[in-house]
Amino acid sequence: MSDAWKANKVLKYKPLPVSFSLDDPTLDYMNLLGIIFRMYSLLLKLKWCAWRAVYCSFISLAKHMSSFMPSISAVVTSYLQHPQLMTPFW
Amino acid sequence: MKASLAFCVVLLVFGSVSEAKFDDFEDEEDIVEYDDNDFAEFEDVTEDSVTESPQRVITTEDDEDETTVELEGQDENQEGDFEDADTQEGDTESEPYDDEEFEGYEDKPDTSSSKNKDPITIVDVPAHLQNSWESYYLEILMVTGLLAYIMNYIIGKNKNSRLAQAWFNTHRELLESNFTLVGDDGTNKEATSTGKLNQENEHIYNLWCSGRVCCEGMLIQLRFLKRQDLLNVLARMMRPVSDQVQIKVTMNDEDMDTYVFAVGTRKALVRLQKEMQDLSEFCSDKPKSGAKYGLPDSLAILSEMGEVTEGMMDTKMVHFLTHYADKIESVHFSDQFSGPKIMQEEGQPLKLPDTKRTLLFTFNVPGSGNTYPKDMEALLPLMNMVIYSIDKAKKFRLNREGKQKADKNRARVEENFLKLTHVQRQEAAQSRREEKKRAEKERIMNEEDPEKQRRLEEAALRREQKKLEKKQMKMKQIKVKAM
Repeated sequence: MSDAWKANKVLKYKPLPVSFSLDDPTLDYMNLLGIIFRMYSLLLKLKWCAWRAVYCSFISLAKHMSSFMPSISAVVTSYLQHPQLMTPFW
Repeated sequence: MKASLAFCVVLLVFGSVSEAKFDDFEDEEDIVEYDDNDFAEFEDVTEDSVTESPQRVITTEDDEDETTVELEGQDENQEGDFEDADTQEGDTESEPYDDEEFEGYEDKPDTSSSKNKDPITIVDVPAHLQNSWESYYLEILMVTGLLAYIMNYIIGKNKNSRLAQAWFNTHRELLESNFTLVGDDGTNKEATSTGKLNQENEHIYNLWCSGRVCCEGMLIQLRFLKRQDLLNVLARMMRPVSDQVQIKVTMNDEDMDTYVFAVGTRKALVRLQKEMQDLSEFCSDKPKSGAKYGLPDSLAILSEMGEVTEGMMDTKMVHFLTHYADKIESVHFSDQFSGPKIMQEEGQPLKLPDTKRTLLFTFNVPGSGNTYPKDMEALLPLMNMVIYSIDKAKKFRLNREGKQKADKNRARVEENFLKLTHVQRQEAAQSRREEKKRAEKERIMNEEDPEKQRRLEEAALRREQKKLEKKQMKMKQIKVKAM
């Protein structure tokens, strides 16, 4: 078993550079959607947009932690401005 | 005597004053009017005061005739002022109820009845002011969805972690027997064997192994499904996908010959041929069936030359590929591996990409997504295949013809690349020359000593003249050859 070993040929691990895999575009799109929904909810005072922004930030949470708190604040702000309940589309 | 005289004088004075006051009035009636006129200013202010004040005046004078007249006048005045309303003073004395008293009240019942005809609209209390949770059903739905996503995140992440740990526990012994270093996260200055998987994110785990004959190192990447993402879980319900184990062995330059070879599922090979630089350049033919070598129909072969296929497909390799065909996605051996094709914005890259002698393996974890920790044991024989392939690659050597063919292929690829990039390389060379000239001019300008400046300028001029002469000579030679 030890015949296969070569202690003097041990190389250090080099972390791979950030690869552009298929996962990254999805997370980036989710982050972008979250920003758009957040802006719409604050400007047009649409509660459902604020909730969608929260969902998008959850999905892209692993990569973009920065979008989580602004989405939560968008929901809170929309409810403070208009305490009326959210109405369904139908 | 004198006091009595003074008192008489005072009386006289007072009397004269009062007489002077009443000089204008000849009759007693005038006096009364005057008295009335004294209070005339109060007549319009209030009726009570008007009514009361003359009565007071009248009572004090005790003139019955005058009092009755004035009282009647007051009554007339009151009636004149209150045309619509009945006075109670005169009527109350005669009757307890007067019909005229209620004259104006006939309309009032009519108005109240008209009001009854108008429907009373009772407006509902706004929903957000109601004290009921039922009206918040949409918000409750949203929060429930978020909670479901969070629960799925926790469960998915834990499952991936358990699967990774199960894989490592199964393969630890084999890896530690073949490599000096098992598990290095790259944070320390020197290579340190941590003996643990390196978690890149919730669904990707890395393991670096090094310190073995023939190879520089081996990077194992466990690419699990994104079980922590609810959207991904729902998408997988439509299209089942398997977890994958990707192994990349970096060989030493002296331990691998020059060839490009791949075997795997037809679909995977077609995709790799499009994506990978070396497979697209050196294996331009379509994937061929491996039935000739005893492989199942599901597997196909991409090879640079027949000799490589013959050399690779020995008994043991065929045994591995046949028995574990359902778990094998692709096996790729290449001395020209440089990763996927890079499309730069400028067009073709100016330089050939760096290549490395690499063995790549992609295995599918059994279960098609519904994987359990015990399924990781089924991958152990595949790791044995990897170790065998490393030793095989070291031993396999091309014969002379194969080597010549391989060298020819590499030269051809390089030449094609240079042709494609000829124009761009020329432009790059031109820009480099211009930059050199500019730098030289700047140096001359910055030179303070005028003599030195002059000498540098002369040297630059001489160099340019030499270049021009060389060019002219070349043109002449070309013309002579053409003739």
